[in-house]
Amino acid sequence: MIMIKIILDRKEPSEAEVRAHQDFNQILAAHLYQQKVNNPWRYWYYLSITCVMLMLV
Amino acid sequence: MPLQLSLQQQSFLQEEEKTQIERAQKDPRFFAPLYERYYDAIFRYVYRRVDEEEQAYDITSSVFVKALQSLPKFEYRGLPFSAWLFRIAKSELYQSFRDQKSKRTVSIENVVVQQVVEEWTDTYSEQDKARLLNALKQLKEQQLQLVEMRFFEKRSFKEIGDICGMSENNAKVKTFRAVLKLKSIFHQKE
Repeated sequence: MIMIKIILDRKEPSEAEVRAHQDFNQILAAHLYQQKVNNPWRYWYYLSITCVMLMLV
Repeated sequence: MPLQLSLQQQSFLQEEEKTQIERAQKDPRFFAPLYERYYDAIFRYVYRRVDEEEQAYDITSSVFVKALQSLPKFEYRGLPFSAWLFRIAKSELYQSFRDQKSKRTVSIENVVVQQVVEEWTDTYSEQDKARLLNALKQLKEQQLQLVEMRFFEKRSFKEIGDICGMSENNAKVKTFRAVLKLKSIFHQKE
């Protein structure tokens, strides 16, 4: 069960304050990193390239 | 006539958004305008539900990272893009509550509490106020969400339905039931 806390008349940050926290590049970087980590070919890519090169030679 | 114009503008904006989504699905760099447009709304949605501001910024960031990851699967089927983002925000929020990284918070204006109490009792006292706040804590999570969105955030039933994954009518009925429940808890120990 989730405990609930009630806050009355809470002050919200201004639009400018919120905008100051916006950073799309950080989001994009996090996304690209996740993509790289989740890529199943990550470990096999260099090994398969090396094998193909050796076979060609 | 002004309504027609606003409908035209709305459909123009929808079309523009659709184009932006399609571009972002092909290249995540084009997600920037959508991020700029919805950051504030998502942040405020999260902020009202967690007790720490920094936590709200962190959750908002993870909402957009998740949105970028799931964007290739997004299909435009009448559900507004904003509702899709709110659904992700909701799921991230509950993940954070489960992991006990943040505390479930309900942010309410004192005026709203006073209005509700006066409507239900004809008078207003600090004791009634405390009773209403206590009654809110006893609602089920979904009921609390509905009351929160409708009365504290003044969202339309259509928007509530889109965010909660139900029809507008269903949202109306469930909100009505949640209010009845709240009222019965409030009057219980009178």
